[in-house]
Amino acid sequence: MSQTIEEAPARLQRLDTIVDCDFHVTERQEDIMPYLPEPWSKVFSRNKGDDYGFLSSLYPSAGLVNPITTGKVQSNAVRSKEEAQVGMDLIHSDKVVTTPTLNLYLGCIRNEELAAALAYAYNEWLLDTMIDVDKGMYGAAVVAPQKPHLAAEEIDDRADEDGICAVFFPGGGIAPLAGADKYHPIYEAAEDNGLPVMMHNASGNMMMAFPKAFENLTRFLSAHVVAHPMIHMCNLADMITRGIPVRFPDLEFVVQEAGVGYIPYFMRRFDHEYHSKKEDAPMLEQEPSGYLRDNFYFTSQPLEGTSDPEYVDSMVRLMSGETNLMFSSDYPHLDFDYTDELMKLLPSFDDDELNAVYGGTALEVFDF
Amino acid sequence: MTREPTSTDADADATLHHVATLEAFDEAERIIVDVKGREIAVFDVDGQFYAVLNYCTHQGGPLCEGLLDGTLTMTDDWEWTYSCEGTIVSCPWHGWEFDITTGEHLAHSDYRVPTYDVVVQDEQVYITE
Repeated sequence: MSQTIEEAPARLQRLDTIVDCDFHVTERQEDIMPYLPEPWSKVFSRNKGDDYGFLSSLYPSAGLVNPITTGKVQSNAVRSKEEAQVGMDLIHSDKVVTTPTLNLYLGCIRNEELAAALAYAYNEWLLDTMIDVDKGMYGAAVVAPQKPHLAAEEIDDRADEDGICAVFFPGGGIAPLAGADKYHPIYEAAEDNGLPVMMHNASGNMMMAFPKAFENLTRFLSAHVVAHPMIHMCNLADMITRGIPVRFPDLEFVVQEAGVGYIPYFMRRFDHEYHSKKEDAPMLEQEPSGYLRDNFYFTSQPLEGTSDPEYVDSMVRLMSGETNLMFSSDYPHLDFDYTDELMKLLPSFDDDELNAVYGGTALEVFDF
Repeated sequence: MTREPTSTDADADATLHHVATLEAFDEAERIIVDVKGREIAVFDVDGQFYAVLNYCTHQGGPLCEGLLDGTLTMTDDWEWTYSCEGTIVSCPWHGWEFDITTGEHLAHSDYRVPTYDVVVQDEQVYITE
Protein backbone atom coordinates (compact mmCIF):
# COMPACT_ATOMS: atom_id res chain seq x y z
CA MET A 1 0.00 0.00 0.00
CA SER A 2 2.41 2.61 -1.21
CA GLN A 3 -0.13 5.05 -2.59
CA THR A 4 -0.63 8.20 -0.54
CA ILE A 5 -2.93 11.18 -0.74
CA GLU A 6 -0.20 13.16 -2.47
CA GLU A 7 0.17 10.45 -5.08
CA ALA A 8 -3.53 10.28 -5.94
CA PRO A 9 -3.77 9.22 -9.57
CA ALA A 10 -4.63 12.19 -11.77
CA ARG A 11 -7.50 10.34 -13.38
CA LEU A 12 -9.42 10.39 -10.10
CA GLN A 13 -9.93 14.12 -10.66
CA ARG A 14 -12.55 13.21 -13.25
CA LEU A 15 -14.75 11.92 -10.43
CA ASP A 16 -17.19 14.05 -8.44
CA THR A 17 -17.79 11.72 -5.50
CA ILE A 18 -16.12 8.44 -4.67
CA VAL A 19 -18.28 6.02 -2.71
CA ASP A 20 -16.57 2.85 -1.56
CA CYS A 21 -19.33 0.25 -1.33
CA ASP A 22 -17.33 -2.43 0.47
CA PHE A 23 -15.04 -1.05 3.16
CA HIS A 24 -14.46 -3.58 5.89
CA VAL A 25 -14.14 -3.14 9.56
CA THR A 26 -12.08 -5.92 11.10
CA GLU A 27 -14.11 -6.43 14.24
CA ARG A 28 -12.94 -9.06 16.68
CA GLN A 29 -15.21 -11.10 18.83
CA GLU A 30 -13.77 -9.32 21.88
CA ASP A 31 -14.88 -5.98 20.41
CA ILE A 32 -18.51 -6.91 20.20
CA MET A 33 -18.90 -9.18 23.24
CA PRO A 34 -19.36 -6.21 25.62
CA TYR A 35 -22.46 -5.30 23.58
CA LEU A 36 -24.15 -8.72 23.81
CA PRO A 37 -27.70 -8.47 25.14
CA GLU A 38 -29.07 -10.64 27.91
CA PRO A 39 -29.20 -13.56 28.42
CA TRP A 40 -26.00 -14.13 26.45
CA SER A 41 -24.18 -11.35 28.27
CA LYS A 42 -24.82 -13.27 31.50
CA VAL A 43 -23.68 -16.56 30.04
CA PHE A 44 -20.39 -15.24 28.70
CA SER A 45 -19.58 -13.00 31.66
CA ARG A 46 -19.36 -15.99 34.00
CA ASN A 47 -15.75 -16.49 32.92
CA LYS A 48 -15.91 -19.97 34.42
CA GLY A 49 -15.75 -22.15 31.37
CA ASP A 50 -12.80 -23.77 29.68
CA ASP A 51 -13.19 -24.40 25.95
CA TYR A 52 -9.79 -26.09 25.54
CA GLY A 53 -8.89 -23.35 23.11
CA PHE A 54 -10.82 -24.40 20.10
CA LEU A 55 -14.18 -22.88 20.88
CA SER A 56 -12.92 -19.45 21.80
CA SER A 57 -14.37 -18.27 18.52
CA LEU A 58 -18.14 -18.47 18.44
CA TYR A 59 -17.83 -18.10 14.69
CA PRO A 60 -16.94 -21.33 12.91
CA SER A 61 -13.55 -21.32 11.25
CA ALA A 62 -12.90 -23.07 7.97
CA GLY A 63 -9.22 -23.41 8.88
CA LEU A 64 -8.04 -22.15 5.49
CA VAL A 65 -4.48 -20.87 5.55
CA ASN A 66 -4.43 -17.60 3.66
CA PRO A 67 -1.73 -15.03 2.82
CA ILE A 68 -2.65 -12.94 5.86
CA THR A 69 -2.16 -15.98 8.10
CA THR A 70 1.27 -16.58 6.61
CA GLY A 71 2.30 -12.92 6.71
CA LYS A 72 2.59 -12.49 2.95
CA VAL A 73 -0.12 -9.84 3.10
CA GLN A 74 0.07 -7.22 5.81
CA SER A 75 -3.49 -6.14 6.32
CA ASN A 76 -4.36 -3.08 8.37
CA ALA A 77 -6.87 -3.26 11.20
CA VAL A 78 -10.05 -1.18 10.97
CA ARG A 79 -11.42 -1.15 14.50
CA SER A 80 -11.53 2.59 15.14
CA LYS A 81 -12.41 5.76 13.28
CA GLU A 82 -8.74 6.66 13.11
CA GLU A 83 -7.91 3.36 11.45
CA ALA A 84 -10.85 3.79 9.08
CA GLN A 85 -9.57 7.22 8.13
CA VAL A 86 -6.24 5.69 7.09
CA GLY A 87 -8.10 3.50 4.63
CA MET A 88 -10.35 6.28 3.37
CA ASP A 89 -7.33 8.50 2.77
CA LEU A 90 -5.62 5.73 0.84
CA ILE A 91 -8.67 5.03 -1.32
CA HIS A 92 -9.61 8.74 -1.57
CA SER A 93 -13.21 7.89 -0.83
CA ASP A 94 -15.74 10.52 0.17
CA LYS A 95 -18.14 8.01 1.64
CA VAL A 96 -17.72 4.39 2.69
CA VAL A 97 -20.24 1.67 3.41
CA THR A 98 -18.61 -0.32 6.17
CA THR A 99 -19.14 -4.05 6.07
CA PRO A 100 -17.99 -6.66 8.61
CA THR A 101 -15.21 -9.23 8.52
CA LEU A 102 -15.81 -11.75 11.31
CA ASN A 103 -19.55 -11.36 10.81
CA LEU A 104 -19.25 -12.53 7.23
CA TYR A 105 -19.56 -15.86 9.05
CA LEU A 106 -22.64 -14.93 11.07
CA GLY A 107 -24.88 -17.01 8.78
CA CYS A 108 -22.77 -20.07 9.64
CA ILE A 109 -23.33 -19.89 13.40
CA ARG A 110 -25.09 -22.96 14.67
CA ASN A 111 -27.00 -21.43 17.59
CA GLU A 112 -29.57 -19.20 15.93
CA GLU A 113 -30.45 -17.32 19.14
CA LEU A 114 -26.81 -16.48 19.68
CA ALA A 115 -26.49 -15.42 16.05
CA ALA A 116 -29.26 -12.85 16.49
CA ALA A 117 -27.64 -11.59 19.70
CA LEU A 118 -24.27 -11.22 17.94
CA ALA A 119 -25.92 -9.24 15.13
CA TYR A 120 -27.34 -6.87 17.70
CA ALA A 121 -23.97 -6.60 19.46
CA TYR A 122 -22.12 -5.90 16.19
CA ASN A 123 -24.54 -3.13 15.29
CA GLU A 124 -24.17 -1.56 18.74
CA TRP A 125 -20.38 -1.68 18.40
CA LEU A 126 -20.55 -0.33 14.83
CA LEU A 127 -22.68 2.65 15.84
CA ASP A 128 -20.61 3.26 18.96
CA THR A 129 -17.19 2.91 17.38
CA MET A 130 -17.19 3.36 13.63
CA ILE A 131 -20.10 5.37 12.28
CA ASP A 132 -19.35 9.03 11.67
CA VAL A 133 -21.49 10.70 9.05
CA ASP A 134 -19.44 13.89 9.09
CA LYS A 135 -16.41 11.88 8.04
CA GLY A 136 -18.37 9.90 5.45
CA MET A 137 -18.33 6.71 7.49
CA TYR A 138 -21.59 4.89 6.99
CA GLY A 139 -22.44 1.31 7.74
CA ALA A 140 -24.69 -1.64 7.00
CA ALA A 141 -26.68 -3.13 9.88
CA VAL A 142 -25.96 -6.84 10.14
CA VAL A 143 -28.86 -9.25 10.61
CA ALA A 144 -28.94 -12.94 11.40
CA PRO A 145 -30.64 -14.93 8.61
CA GLN A 146 -31.23 -17.70 11.14
CA LYS A 147 -33.88 -15.62 12.96
CA PRO A 148 -35.81 -13.63 10.36
CA HIS A 149 -38.34 -12.06 12.72
CA LEU A 150 -35.62 -10.82 15.06
CA ALA A 151 -33.72 -9.65 11.99
CA ALA A 152 -36.75 -7.65 10.88
CA GLU A 153 -36.95 -6.05 14.32
CA GLU A 154 -33.26 -5.28 14.12
CA ILE A 155 -33.81 -3.55 10.76
CA ASP A 156 -36.74 -1.53 12.13
CA ASP A 157 -34.68 -0.51 15.17
CA ARG A 158 -31.56 0.48 13.19
CA ALA A 159 -33.06 2.01 10.07
CA ASP A 160 -33.41 5.51 11.49
CA GLU A 161 -29.99 5.59 13.11
CA ASP A 162 -27.78 8.22 11.57
CA GLY A 163 -25.28 6.49 9.31
CA ILE A 164 -27.06 3.19 8.79
CA CYS A 165 -27.49 3.08 5.03
CA ALA A 166 -28.14 -0.62 4.30
CA VAL A 167 -28.89 -4.05 5.67
CA PHE A 168 -26.12 -6.63 5.64
CA PHE A 169 -27.41 -10.15 4.99
CA PRO A 170 -24.63 -12.68 5.62
CA GLY A 171 -26.06 -15.20 3.21
CA GLY A 172 -22.95 -17.33 2.73
CA GLY A 173 -23.69 -20.76 4.13
CA ILE A 174 -27.33 -20.23 5.00
CA ALA A 175 -29.91 -23.00 4.70
CA PRO A 176 -32.35 -22.75 3.10
CA LEU A 177 -31.07 -20.49 0.33
CA ALA A 178 -32.06 -16.85 0.11
CA GLY A 179 -35.20 -17.40 -1.97
CA ALA A 180 -37.04 -19.25 0.80
CA ASP A 181 -40.24 -17.92 2.34
CA LYS A 182 -38.41 -17.98 5.67
CA TYR A 183 -36.57 -14.76 4.79
CA HIS A 184 -39.59 -12.72 3.72
CA PRO A 185 -39.72 -10.78 7.02
CA ILE A 186 -36.16 -9.56 6.39
CA TYR A 187 -36.91 -8.44 2.85
CA GLU A 188 -40.18 -6.85 3.89
CA ALA A 189 -38.51 -4.86 6.67
CA ALA A 190 -35.69 -3.72 4.38
CA GLU A 191 -38.14 -2.69 1.67
CA ASP A 192 -40.38 -0.85 4.16
CA ASN A 193 -37.39 1.05 5.53
CA GLY A 194 -35.98 1.86 2.11
CA LEU A 195 -32.70 0.07 2.74
CA PRO A 196 -30.85 -2.10 0.20
CA VAL A 197 -29.81 -5.59 1.24
CA MET A 198 -26.11 -6.36 0.86
CA MET A 199 -25.04 -9.92 0.09
CA HIS A 200 -21.43 -10.85 0.72
CA ASN A 201 -19.84 -14.28 1.08
CA ALA A 202 -16.50 -15.43 2.40
CA SER A 203 -14.40 -18.34 1.17
CA GLY A 204 -14.98 -20.30 4.37
CA ASN A 205 -18.75 -19.96 3.98
CA MET A 206 -18.33 -22.85 1.62
CA MET A 207 -17.96 -25.24 4.56
CA MET A 208 -21.67 -24.75 5.23
CA ALA A 209 -22.91 -23.90 1.73
CA PHE A 210 -21.13 -26.69 -0.13
CA PRO A 211 -19.75 -29.09 2.50
CA LYS A 212 -18.96 -31.89 0.08
CA ALA A 213 -17.13 -29.58 -2.30
CA PHE A 214 -15.39 -27.95 0.63
CA GLU A 215 -13.97 -31.31 1.71
CA ASN A 216 -12.03 -31.48 -1.51
CA LEU A 217 -11.05 -27.83 -1.90
CA THR A 218 -8.30 -27.98 0.68
CA ARG A 219 -6.49 -24.75 -0.14
CA PHE A 220 -7.47 -21.12 0.23
CA LEU A 221 -6.85 -20.59 -3.49
CA SER A 222 -9.19 -23.29 -4.72
CA ALA A 223 -11.90 -22.47 -2.19
CA HIS A 224 -11.69 -18.71 -2.71
CA VAL A 225 -11.75 -18.80 -6.49
CA VAL A 226 -15.14 -20.50 -6.60
CA ALA A 227 -16.83 -19.71 -3.26
CA HIS A 228 -17.92 -16.13 -3.82
CA PRO A 229 -19.56 -16.39 -7.26
CA MET A 230 -20.86 -19.92 -6.61
CA ILE A 231 -22.73 -19.01 -3.45
CA HIS A 232 -24.07 -15.85 -5.10
CA MET A 233 -25.31 -17.75 -8.12
CA CYS A 234 -27.09 -20.28 -5.90
CA ASN A 235 -28.77 -17.61 -3.79
CA LEU A 236 -29.70 -15.45 -6.78
CA ALA A 237 -31.00 -18.38 -8.80
CA ASP A 238 -33.19 -19.37 -5.87
CA MET A 239 -34.37 -15.83 -5.17
CA ILE A 240 -35.45 -15.09 -8.72
CA THR A 241 -36.94 -18.51 -9.39
CA ARG A 242 -39.05 -18.15 -6.26
CA GLY A 243 -40.15 -14.63 -7.15
CA ILE A 244 -38.44 -12.49 -4.49
CA PRO A 245 -38.19 -9.46 -6.84
CA VAL A 246 -41.85 -9.91 -7.80
CA ARG A 247 -42.88 -9.99 -4.15
CA PHE A 248 -40.62 -7.10 -3.15
CA PRO A 249 -40.43 -4.94 -6.27
CA ASP A 250 -39.00 -1.91 -4.47
CA LEU A 251 -36.25 -3.85 -2.71
CA GLU A 252 -32.71 -3.55 -4.02
CA PHE A 253 -29.88 -6.00 -3.44
CA VAL A 254 -26.17 -5.25 -3.51
CA VAL A 255 -24.17 -8.32 -4.52
CA GLN A 256 -20.51 -8.17 -3.56
CA GLU A 257 -17.02 -9.52 -3.87
CA ALA A 258 -17.15 -11.81 -6.88
CA GLY A 259 -15.81 -9.61 -9.68
CA VAL A 260 -17.69 -8.88 -12.89
CA GLY A 261 -17.35 -11.62 -15.50
CA TYR A 262 -19.80 -14.02 -13.89
CA ILE A 263 -22.60 -11.45 -14.09
CA PRO A 264 -23.18 -11.22 -17.86
CA TYR A 265 -22.67 -14.97 -18.00
CA PHE A 266 -25.18 -15.65 -15.23
CA MET A 267 -27.74 -13.26 -16.75
CA ARG A 268 -27.59 -14.98 -20.11
CA ARG A 269 -27.40 -18.51 -18.78
CA PHE A 270 -30.38 -17.82 -16.53
CA ASP A 271 -32.46 -16.43 -19.43
CA HIS A 272 -31.48 -19.32 -21.63
CA GLU A 273 -32.60 -21.83 -19.01
CA TYR A 274 -35.77 -19.91 -18.27
CA HIS A 275 -36.81 -20.09 -21.92
CA SER A 276 -37.27 -23.82 -21.63
CA LYS A 277 -38.22 -24.10 -17.94
CA LYS A 278 -40.72 -21.32 -17.39
CA GLU A 279 -43.11 -23.59 -15.50
CA ASP A 280 -40.65 -23.51 -12.57
CA ALA A 281 -41.09 -19.75 -12.16
CA PRO A 282 -44.55 -18.81 -13.45
CA MET A 283 -44.76 -15.64 -11.34
CA LEU A 284 -42.01 -13.90 -13.28
CA GLU A 285 -43.19 -11.01 -15.42
CA GLN A 286 -39.91 -10.63 -17.28
CA GLU A 287 -36.82 -12.67 -17.93
CA PRO A 288 -34.43 -13.32 -15.03
CA SER A 289 -31.89 -10.90 -16.47
CA GLY A 290 -34.53 -8.18 -16.29
CA TYR A 291 -34.78 -8.62 -12.54
CA LEU A 292 -31.01 -8.86 -12.23
CA ARG A 293 -30.80 -5.48 -13.97
CA ASP A 294 -33.70 -3.84 -12.11
CA ASN A 295 -33.36 -5.09 -8.55
CA PHE A 296 -29.71 -6.07 -8.16
CA TYR A 297 -26.54 -4.01 -8.01
CA PHE A 298 -23.01 -5.33 -8.03
CA THR A 299 -19.82 -4.10 -6.42
CA SER A 300 -16.68 -4.16 -8.51
CA GLN A 301 -13.96 -5.83 -6.47
CA PRO A 302 -12.06 -8.13 -6.95
CA LEU A 303 -11.77 -7.20 -10.59
CA GLU A 304 -10.41 -10.03 -12.74
CA GLY A 305 -8.79 -9.93 -16.16
CA THR A 306 -7.01 -6.69 -15.42
CA SER A 307 -4.28 -7.22 -17.99
CA ASP A 308 -6.96 -6.95 -20.64
CA PRO A 309 -8.97 -3.69 -20.76
CA GLU A 310 -11.04 -5.02 -23.64
CA TYR A 311 -12.22 -7.89 -21.44
CA VAL A 312 -13.11 -5.70 -18.46
CA ASP A 313 -14.78 -3.00 -20.55
CA SER A 314 -16.90 -5.50 -22.46
CA MET A 315 -17.92 -7.47 -19.35
CA VAL A 316 -19.00 -4.28 -17.60
CA ARG A 317 -20.96 -3.20 -20.69
CA LEU A 318 -22.58 -6.63 -21.01
CA MET A 319 -23.85 -6.50 -17.44
CA SER A 320 -25.15 -2.91 -17.93
CA GLY A 321 -22.48 -1.71 -15.52
CA GLU A 322 -23.13 1.94 -16.30
CA THR A 323 -26.34 1.52 -14.27
CA ASN A 324 -25.63 -1.31 -11.83
CA LEU A 325 -21.91 -1.54 -11.10
CA MET A 326 -20.61 0.25 -8.00
CA PHE A 327 -16.99 0.77 -7.08
CA SER A 328 -15.73 -1.07 -4.02
CA SER A 329 -12.21 -1.38 -2.62
CA ASP A 330 -12.66 -4.17 -0.06
CA TYR A 331 -10.05 -2.39 2.06
CA PRO A 332 -8.24 -3.71 4.11
CA HIS A 333 -8.71 -7.28 2.92
CA LEU A 334 -6.03 -9.16 1.05
CA ASP A 335 -7.54 -8.83 -2.41
CA PHE A 336 -8.55 -5.17 -2.18
CA ASP A 337 -8.63 -3.05 -5.35
CA TYR A 338 -6.97 0.32 -5.46
CA THR A 339 -9.23 3.14 -6.55
CA ASP A 340 -8.27 3.61 -10.18
CA GLU A 341 -7.84 -0.07 -11.04
CA LEU A 342 -11.34 -0.30 -12.47
CA MET A 343 -11.35 3.19 -13.93
CA LYS A 344 -8.32 2.63 -16.15
CA LEU A 345 -9.89 -0.52 -17.58
CA LEU A 346 -13.09 1.14 -18.85
CA PRO A 347 -11.87 2.99 -21.95
CA SER A 348 -15.34 3.24 -23.48
CA PHE A 349 -16.87 4.90 -20.41
CA ASP A 350 -17.39 8.66 -20.51
CA ASP A 351 -17.22 10.90 -17.44
CA ASP A 352 -20.92 10.56 -16.65
CA GLU A 353 -20.72 6.78 -16.74
CA LEU A 354 -17.55 6.69 -14.66
CA ASN A 355 -19.17 8.96 -12.11
CA ALA A 356 -22.14 6.60 -11.94
CA VAL A 357 -19.86 3.63 -11.27
CA TYR A 358 -17.74 5.45 -8.70
CA GLY A 359 -20.49 7.12 -6.71
CA GLY A 360 -23.60 8.26 -8.57
CA THR A 361 -25.36 4.92 -8.52
CA ALA A 362 -24.37 4.26 -4.88
CA LEU A 363 -25.73 7.66 -3.81
CA GLU A 364 -29.12 6.53 -5.11
CA VAL A 365 -29.03 2.94 -3.84
CA PHE A 366 -27.84 3.52 -0.27
CA ASP A 367 -29.77 5.48 2.31
CA PHE A 368 -27.05 8.05 3.01
CA MET B 1 -69.27 -33.31 -32.93
CA THR B 2 -70.12 -29.84 -34.09
CA ARG B 3 -67.53 -27.30 -34.95
CA GLU B 4 -67.50 -23.51 -35.16
CA PRO B 5 -65.12 -22.63 -37.94
CA THR B 6 -62.70 -19.80 -37.13
CA SER B 7 -63.98 -17.93 -40.14
CA THR B 8 -66.22 -18.68 -43.05
CA ASP B 9 -65.76 -15.32 -44.71
CA ALA B 10 -62.60 -15.78 -46.63
CA ASP B 11 -61.21 -12.64 -48.11
CA ALA B 12 -61.85 -12.76 -51.82
CA ASP B 13 -58.20 -11.97 -52.51
CA ALA B 14 -56.80 -14.46 -50.01
CA THR B 15 -54.99 -17.54 -51.13
CA LEU B 16 -56.43 -20.74 -49.71
CA HIS B 17 -54.16 -23.68 -49.00
CA HIS B 18 -55.99 -26.94 -48.49
CA VAL B 19 -55.22 -28.77 -45.25
CA ALA B 20 -57.71 -31.61 -44.95
CA THR B 21 -61.35 -32.40 -44.75
CA LEU B 22 -63.19 -31.35 -41.64
CA GLU B 23 -63.86 -34.99 -41.04
CA ALA B 24 -60.16 -35.78 -40.91
CA PHE B 25 -59.92 -33.80 -37.66
CA ASP B 26 -62.25 -36.31 -36.00
CA GLU B 27 -59.23 -38.58 -35.80
CA ALA B 28 -56.45 -36.01 -35.48
CA GLU B 29 -55.63 -33.36 -32.88
CA ARG B 30 -53.33 -31.74 -35.41
CA ILE B 31 -52.52 -32.09 -39.07
CA ILE B 32 -49.26 -30.86 -40.52
CA VAL B 33 -49.15 -29.88 -44.17
CA ASP B 34 -46.57 -28.52 -46.55
CA VAL B 35 -47.43 -25.08 -47.90
CA LYS B 36 -44.91 -24.04 -50.52
CA GLY B 37 -42.05 -25.54 -48.57
CA ARG B 38 -43.27 -24.44 -45.18
CA GLU B 39 -44.51 -27.01 -42.69
CA ILE B 40 -47.60 -25.64 -41.03
CA ALA B 41 -49.57 -27.39 -38.32
CA VAL B 42 -53.30 -26.93 -37.95
CA PHE B 43 -54.49 -27.69 -34.43
CA ASP B 44 -58.10 -28.50 -33.63
CA VAL B 45 -58.85 -27.29 -30.09
CA ASP B 46 -62.48 -28.22 -29.38
CA GLY B 47 -63.54 -27.03 -32.78
CA GLN B 48 -61.34 -23.95 -32.88
CA PHE B 49 -58.58 -24.12 -35.47
CA TYR B 50 -55.12 -22.63 -35.04
CA ALA B 51 -52.36 -22.78 -37.63
CA VAL B 52 -48.74 -22.45 -36.55
CA LEU B 53 -45.46 -22.78 -38.42
CA ASN B 54 -43.76 -26.03 -37.48
CA TYR B 55 -40.47 -24.32 -36.73
CA CYS B 56 -39.23 -23.35 -33.30
CA THR B 57 -37.68 -19.89 -33.23
CA HIS B 58 -35.13 -21.20 -30.76
CA GLN B 59 -33.04 -23.63 -32.81
CA GLY B 60 -35.36 -24.72 -35.58
CA GLY B 61 -36.89 -27.77 -33.91
CA PRO B 62 -40.20 -29.32 -35.02
CA LEU B 63 -42.23 -27.23 -32.61
CA CYS B 64 -45.68 -28.41 -33.58
CA GLU B 65 -44.87 -32.07 -33.14
CA GLY B 66 -44.50 -31.55 -29.39
CA LEU B 67 -46.84 -31.85 -26.44
CA LEU B 68 -50.08 -29.86 -26.72
CA ASP B 69 -51.26 -29.09 -23.23
CA GLY B 70 -51.50 -26.27 -20.67
CA THR B 71 -48.92 -24.65 -18.43
CA LEU B 72 -48.27 -24.03 -14.75
CA THR B 73 -49.15 -20.49 -13.72
CA MET B 74 -49.54 -18.49 -10.55
CA THR B 75 -52.29 -16.14 -9.41
CA ASP B 76 -51.69 -12.71 -7.91
CA ASP B 77 -52.19 -14.42 -4.54
CA TRP B 78 -49.29 -16.79 -5.25
CA GLU B 79 -51.56 -19.81 -5.74
CA TRP B 80 -50.27 -22.37 -8.23
CA THR B 81 -52.75 -22.91 -11.05
CA TYR B 82 -52.95 -24.53 -14.45
CA SER B 83 -53.83 -22.39 -17.45
CA CYS B 84 -54.32 -22.34 -21.19
CA GLU B 85 -55.23 -26.01 -21.27
CA GLY B 86 -54.91 -27.40 -24.77
CA THR B 87 -53.36 -24.30 -26.35
CA ILE B 88 -49.71 -24.51 -25.33
CA VAL B 89 -47.39 -26.45 -27.59
CA SER B 90 -43.91 -27.33 -26.33
CA CYS B 91 -41.07 -27.91 -28.75
CA PRO B 92 -39.89 -31.50 -28.36
CA TRP B 93 -36.25 -30.45 -28.69
CA HIS B 94 -35.84 -28.09 -25.68
CA GLY B 95 -39.29 -27.58 -24.24
CA TRP B 96 -39.83 -23.98 -25.35
CA GLU B 97 -43.54 -23.27 -24.80
CA PHE B 98 -45.63 -21.35 -27.32
CA ASP B 99 -49.25 -20.22 -27.19
CA ILE B 100 -50.76 -21.54 -30.43
CA THR B 101 -53.49 -18.87 -30.34
CA THR B 102 -50.95 -16.04 -30.64
CA GLY B 103 -47.67 -17.68 -31.60
CA GLU B 104 -45.96 -16.09 -28.60
CA HIS B 105 -43.21 -17.79 -26.62
CA LEU B 106 -44.34 -17.84 -23.00
CA ALA B 107 -40.99 -16.83 -21.56
CA HIS B 108 -40.30 -14.00 -23.99
CA SER B 109 -43.04 -12.74 -26.32
CA ASP B 110 -40.48 -11.35 -28.77
CA TYR B 111 -39.77 -14.94 -29.76
CA ARG B 112 -42.90 -15.31 -31.80
CA VAL B 113 -43.63 -18.13 -34.22
CA PRO B 114 -45.74 -17.28 -37.28
CA THR B 115 -49.45 -18.10 -37.11
CA TYR B 116 -52.00 -18.22 -39.92
CA ASP B 117 -55.73 -17.81 -40.29
CA VAL B 118 -57.81 -20.91 -40.87
CA VAL B 119 -61.07 -21.02 -42.77
CA VAL B 120 -63.58 -23.80 -43.26
CA GLN B 121 -65.48 -23.91 -46.50
CA ASP B 122 -67.68 -26.74 -47.73
CA GLU B 123 -66.44 -29.18 -45.07
CA GLN B 124 -62.85 -28.45 -46.08
CA VAL B 125 -60.21 -26.83 -43.88
CA TYR B 126 -57.87 -24.24 -45.40
CA ILE B 127 -55.01 -22.05 -44.30
CA THR B 128 -55.42 -18.57 -45.68
CA GLU B 129 -52.91 -15.83 -46.22
